[in-house]
Amino acid sequence: MKKILVADDEMSIRLLYSEELKEEGYEVYTAANGREALEIMATVPVDLVILDIKMPEMDGIETLRQIKERRPDLPVLLSTAYGEYRQDFATWASDEYLVKSSDLDDLRNAVKRYLKD
Amino acid sequence: MAADRLSFLSQMVEVLTSTISFEERLKNMVHLLGRYLKVDLSLYFGLDKGKELLTLQLTSKGVLSPHQRLEFACGQGVVGEVAKSRQEKVVHRHHAGVMPANALLEKLHPAFHTLAAFPVADDNFLYGVLLLVDGKDRSYSQAERQIIRSATLMLAGALRQAMVQEEAKKRIAELAVLFEVGKALSSTVELDELLERIVTTTAKVITARGAGLQIVDRQTGETRVSSRYGYIPAPFKCPPILGVLPTGGTLADIPYLQGEEVAADGSLHYHLAVPLTFKSSLQGALCVFDKITASGGYEPFDHENRQLLFTMAGLIANTLENAITYQQVEDLAEKNQRMVRNLTALQEISQALLTTVQEDRLLEILLQGLTQEQGLGFDRALVFMVDEAGQTLRGRKGAERLAQGGPAPLATALFLPLARELDLADWEIPLRNDQGPLASAVLNRRAVHLREPQVLGGELPEKVRLTAGELFAAPLVVKDQVTGVIVVDNQTSARPLEEEPLHALQMLTTQAALLLENSHLYATIEANSRELGLIRERMLESDRLAALSSLASGMAHEIRNPLVSIGGFARRIQKLVEPESPLKGYVEVIQEEVSRLEKLLREILDFTGENLSYFGNHDLDQLIEDTLLLVQRDLDAQNIKVVKQLAQLPLLHCDDRQLKQVFYNLFQNARQAMLNGGTLTIRTYPVEKEDGLYAAAAVSDTGGGIPMDVLHNIFNPFFSTKDYGTGLGLSIAQRIVSRHYGEITVNNELGKGVTFVVTLPIAKYCLVKEAGQGSAPASAIQI
Ligand SMILES: [Mg+2]
Repeated sequence: MKKILVADDEMSIRLLYSEELKEEGYEVYTAANGREALEIMATVPVDLVILDIKMPEMDGIETLRQIKERRPDLPVLLSTAYGEYRQDFATWASDEYLVKSSDLDDLRNAVKRYLKD
Repeated sequence: MAADRLSFLSQMVEVLTSTISFEERLKNMVHLLGRYLKVDLSLYFGLDKGKELLTLQLTSKGVLSPHQRLEFACGQGVVGEVAKSRQEKVVHRHHAGVMPANALLEKLHPAFHTLAAFPVADDNFLYGVLLLVDGKDRSYSQAERQIIRSATLMLAGALRQAMVQEEAKKRIAELAVLFEVGKALSSTVELDELLERIVTTTAKVITARGAGLQIVDRQTGETRVSSRYGYIPAPFKCPPILGVLPTGGTLADIPYLQGEEVAADGSLHYHLAVPLTFKSSLQGALCVFDKITASGGYEPFDHENRQLLFTMAGLIANTLENAITYQQVEDLAEKNQRMVRNLTALQEISQALLTTVQEDRLLEILLQGLTQEQGLGFDRALVFMVDEAGQTLRGRKGAERLAQGGPAPLATALFLPLARELDLADWEIPLRNDQGPLASAVLNRRAVHLREPQVLGGELPEKVRLTAGELFAAPLVVKDQVTGVIVVDNQTSARPLEEEPLHALQMLTTQAALLLENSHLYATIEANSRELGLIRERMLESDRLAALSSLASGMAHEIRNPLVSIGGFARRIQKLVEPESPLKGYVEVIQEEVSRLEKLLREILDFTGENLSYFGNHDLDQLIEDTLLLVQRDLDAQNIKVVKQLAQLPLLHCDDRQLKQVFYNLFQNARQAMLNGGTLTIRTYPVEKEDGLYAAAAVSDTGGGIPMDVLHNIFNPFFSTKDYGTGLGLSIAQRIVSRHYGEITVNNELGKGVTFVVTLPIAKYCLVKEAGQGSAPASAIQI
């Protein structure tokens, strides 16, 4: 079973994403910020990370940088309420940049694409 | 006897002092003498002016019939002998030597026997000879001889008186003539008028049918002035009026040329010419034709006429010489004045030209200056400009002067709109030497003064009747480059083009060329600064939007997260609700409303990232291959070989359309640098840098490299060289690469070629800690 890590400071988003992804058959871990996400990754060999950008303590961009530094090939999807972070070169290192939407089809499809085997 | 003698003498005195005409007096006196002496015939022979001939002038028998004309040469016959010796002589027919010397007298008295000849003379002058003819043998007593001597003295007195009178009359007439000539000469200093007066007066005072005058330069043989009046026979009409004339001479020995010629109709014509001598190098002649007689016929000119004409020639020469000199001075003064006027006009035009930098205004002022009466005064002026490529001469603007010049002073007129503008817009002349005088003026950088009609080249606009006659074309030259040509003519008024305004025009073209070039540069700068202004405005605009969006996006974050939760869970609820449940409808409402709000948010807020929405992950090699397809045809046409060395690299996060534009520009520049063929080499390879992995694409040409003096300018937006395309191309490429956090470097090898290297970060493998614009130079030049 593929393991997905969801990091978002909004509890309701964490709940929504994990409910949806569990339903798709993934094992879901959640973190409320980047630091927590990295701690989880230190013990759990996750297959994909979904990162919010605006988070306290450690934001998504720094988290992305640290993840890519250690595991450049690990798929990282950014899921943010902001469109304009696309202009930040640091976000280019992510594999997908998704603007949050109540329609989770884009998210589901992206996850499927990176975890197809 | 004594009483008779007394009565005779008193009668003689009475006749002598009478008021009847001289001829009558003389006739009466000869008649009285004949009657008193009772001789058959008394004759008077007058001595001519040449003092060589004695001509029968009076007889006691009254009027002479034409066949009675008698002449004796001096020394011939008793009449000639007495004239020669001044001694009276009486001879008889039978005396030795009397016949046949006096045989002529038989015409008047066939049987004459005694001839008595007495000189008619006073103390110093012989007037003639009195001859008494008798049929019988006769002697003259001392008393008779004394009476005759007294009578001859009286005759001499009468003759002297007549001569003096005649002389006086002649002198007065001559003075009157000279006075008239003098009056004519002094009445004007205007040369043409003077010449006309001289010939008319000359003809009048000599009573000739015609008169002519010609003055030539002795050195050059060139005719300086000439004038004619009245009848001039054909041989004298066409140059010169006079053939070779004798020169010099004194009054006693008048130099002249006299002759006669037979006209085509057989009539006889006469001419007389005297030289006009001058102090300067001029020489000339004054000539009269056909002296008119009292009866209206023609006769040759006589000694008197020669003398008078010569005197007049002396008078005329002086005055004419003065007049010619005066005219020279006046011509010079006029020329000076014209020059001053032209220079003044030139200065005013120059000043007016300095008041504007707009090409159109410059041309209008220039054309006004060329065509205004107070300017250089040409009928028309046309300006042609050489096009950017230097291949064609193109009609730019032309003007024509209206028939009546405006009263405005030049300084004002220069700024008025053109009275009549000529449309030259469609007139194009290819710049080749076989394309007529305007093209050659440009190609040879030399003014052309066309005096004969010639094909001007190109297709002449219908309204411009510039087909025939004289015109002048002056090239506009700036720093050894011909930028155009100014054409002027006077074809409307059919005046010849004068030297001074043409000279002024050539002075003006130098300045005009410079100013037109400046205006051109100014226009370019203005266009550039306008563009910069627009760019700045757009930048300001986007700044404002950015400020607005940062405020908005803050709110979006707050609103979007709860909306996603509400909408997301609503969808989840919907999946769990029974199809028949009334809740289903409620959940649908929540879902739809959330969707509506999310849509609204996207519309208002997501535009900031929009220009990056084309960003995706692309293969650099594929991108280069796609771009090459666009230029392949051009490269083939120019015989450029393409060498590709492409390495497999990770996908790039980029806007592929923009990167294609970068490579398109680089390929085009390389192509333009290799107009004579060459090799285009494209290499892609990974570059490991401190902060991560980069993809590099090197584009090399074999076009000889970029000259050192332009190298530093190639990324300047407004710089361009023929060899390396438009400057805008490279500056845009630089901007695009910079937006991708990459850089462009130039590797220039003079004599070989140029390599442009585009280096782009592969984001996934790049750890740019302080990402953002300006973190690294987007371009660098290596020499
Ligand atoms: Mg957040």
